[in-house]
Amino acid sequence: MTVFHFFNCAILTFGPHAVYYSATPLSEYDTLGTSIKAAVVYLGTTLIKLVCLATFLKVSESDSFDPYQELLKALIGFIDVAGLYFALTQLTHRNISQNHKFQAVGLGWAFADSVLHRLAPLWVGARGLEFTWDYILQGLEANANLVLSISLAALGSLMWLRKNKPKTLIPIIYTCAGIVATMPSITSYLRRGLGWQLPKVVGFELFTSLVMAFISWQLFAACQRPSS
Amino acid sequence: MGSSERKSAGVLEPTMYTASMMAMVVLIVLAACADLCNGVTVVDVYRLVQYDLAGVPFGSRFASLNHHAASSLFSSGAGSGSGSGGGNSAAAADLSRTVLILPLRELNLALIREYIGQRKILGGLLLLLPSIFNPENVDNTGEADHTPAEDVSRDILVELEQLLIHANIPYPVYFAFEHDDINAVLVDVKRNDVTGQPATATTGGYKLVVAAPEPRKIGSPAITNIQGWLPGLKADADSNQLPTIAIVASYDTFGAAPALSVGSDSNGSGVVALLEIARLFSILYSNPRTRGRYNLLFGLTSGGPYNYNGTYKWLRSFDQRLRESIDYAICLNSIGSSGDKLWVHVSKPPENAYIKQIFEGISSVAEELGLEVGLKHKKINISNPRVAWEHEQFSRIRVTAATLSELSVAPELLESTGGLSDNRHFVNEASVVRSVKLVAESLARHIYNQDGKNINVFADDSSLAVNPSYIRSWLNLLSTTPRVAPFLTKNDPLIMALKKELTEHTVEVNVQHEVLDGLFTFYDSTSSQLHIYQVASVTFDLLLLLVLGSYLIILFSFLVITTRGLDDLISIFRRPPSRKVKTA
Repeated sequence: MTVFHFFNCAILTFGPHAVYYSATPLSEYDTLGTSIKAAVVYLGTTLIKLVCLATFLKVSESDSFDPYQELLKALIGFIDVAGLYFALTQLTHRNISQNHKFQAVGLGWAFADSVLHRLAPLWVGARGLEFTWDYILQGLEANANLVLSISLAALGSLMWLRKNKPKTLIPIIYTCAGIVATMPSITSYLRRGLGWQLPKVVGFELFTSLVMAFISWQLFAACQRPSS
Repeated sequence: MGSSERKSAGVLEPTMYTASMMAMVVLIVLAACADLCNGVTVVDVYRLVQYDLAGVPFGSRFASLNHHAASSLFSSGAGSGSGSGGGNSAAAADLSRTVLILPLRELNLALIREYIGQRKILGGLLLLLPSIFNPENVDNTGEADHTPAEDVSRDILVELEQLLIHANIPYPVYFAFEHDDINAVLVDVKRNDVTGQPATATTGGYKLVVAAPEPRKIGSPAITNIQGWLPGLKADADSNQLPTIAIVASYDTFGAAPALSVGSDSNGSGVVALLEIARLFSILYSNPRTRGRYNLLFGLTSGGPYNYNGTYKWLRSFDQRLRESIDYAICLNSIGSSGDKLWVHVSKPPENAYIKQIFEGISSVAEELGLEVGLKHKKINISNPRVAWEHEQFSRIRVTAATLSELSVAPELLESTGGLSDNRHFVNEASVVRSVKLVAESLARHIYNQDGKNINVFADDSSLAVNPSYIRSWLNLLSTTPRVAPFLTKNDPLIMALKKELTEHTVEVNVQHEVLDGLFTFYDSTSSQLHIYQVASVTFDLLLLLVLGSYLIILFSFLVITTRGLDDLISIFRRPPSRKVKTA
């Protein structure tokens, strides 16, 4: 409702990305190029995912939860992981430490996701007269997504970039990465299969993203100790 | 050759994928948008009529609406439960930027009259009518009786209509029908009002928007008269020398909301009766052995509410011979309400031989049908432009005429012309059938010289019986068609249907197109769609901005502390002074 509301929702959706960039040492090391490259990789990944969805998925009339369709969607969701792998390992980055590399990639990834999935509905819907809570909830979802993307990037960098990991932590790393990667399927199951309302789903996303971020942080710190 | 082919194929595939991708992205975005646009309630609304009478403006002068909603005329709703009596002393809030939603059930007419009389400005007025007054709500059982409660709302509606038609209202007035959506909105609005906060831009509430264009004058409003001619049996002479009997009914209406003026009783019942009488006589006249020695002229005239302007123009178009051959004319006006009394209105004195003959013919048939018929005489004044009954137009050109009606008193200008309250629910089909029998039987007895004899021409269960389903279907059709003359084009489907029906029953049909006299000017924009938005207040947005600002600041500090250390955070704020110290 009105441009003011659009402005509010926009800063809720995109503000944290800018704040993250300027608050952490990313801005000092000028890692903007990395983030932009990660955003472009995300764009490519989304296009490939859409092709696969269009080719393999049946359009269902009802809004119910179909296990086979969801399984297909989850499998296609792993293309995301492949894209992240590509962004972390294959692209040439400037000489920045691993610590900052995964953050920059995660940030670019999350920013591209927000812009692609949330900017258009926000522009079209939030400027109308009718007031709904949807856009604020969408902004909170964008925040949760940022945290999740950074955790996924951290786990990804642990999996593919760090060579000497303590043996005991490897399975934990892979399971956490698996959970974070299948988060979209889990939320869609909650929304359709269990019939949760949007606020509840967003609350769940925020909670799990914080939990996963904490776990990844601990894992990252644990893996860093042997080398230092 | 092969590699370049493979290369071009390789180049084509990504382009194809990109193209299909773009399409998918666009579709997804559009789907998302479509899903997010459903929070608005949309209601069909009908505008109060806007017209000028001899240059004086009447009705609602504006069409577009864009204000917040309120539900009472006074700001403080928190008072005693029966506090509506103390209305005089309560301070009326400034309502020039609010729209009042008033349901008919809870309407205080005296208050409205005072409000309009004092020319106070409102942002707009939305009147909610019970759904029985919705023309589309026709229940086809035909004989649903109306309860006393409905009669009471109908009387209130009639009074309200007269008040609104004769007032000059400088803000938009709309009518809508009660419905779950809008009732829920009204409950919410009332609740907000009770807390004493009228909805404005700084507090939340509902916003009502009608996006209607500026109303424009309807230049040269058309009125269309349809006549059907059923010639009688020529002996050896020309049929034009046979006497003629005219049966006339006006078919157009006028009401507070032109898009809702279906006029089931005034004068849908008259039109239906005329069509049925035409059908019956066409059966009789189709066989030369039963054709009477009178010509029959059926006239469906327009311009009824405007001093029977259409009838006037129709009569002026007659040539001398036809005019002189008319024995008498019967005009039908509102014969559909339940009740056992009908009136014959005349302008020649009752002692006149012709009038006596007509009246005796009608009353003898009425006695047999169990109806009571009275005679009312109203002198016409040629210098007075007001024409209250249709027969007066005939009397002005010295033709004997009478109007058969259930109304006992001549209506005023724009009164009883088929307004908001006149719809199918309040018309009794059996009464129309009885009136048709009355008129047809008395006509037949006169035509075939059987006056006073014991004969029943249109007996029930005969091939000439009055057909109730014919009457019912035409009544239902007319009760769902608004018929305000300036808004009917020359080739309106209704006019075409009436013409076609008369063509089936009569030998010669003529359609006359005229222009309504310049005394009345009408404006368009009679119906629209109302969008009801639930808006949040500016305070809410400011609060949200504050919350978001502090969230981002906290996030910033948190990230700086965790990644760069607390000293860095402090140093961000202390840097300028330390630089100064350095240079000094």
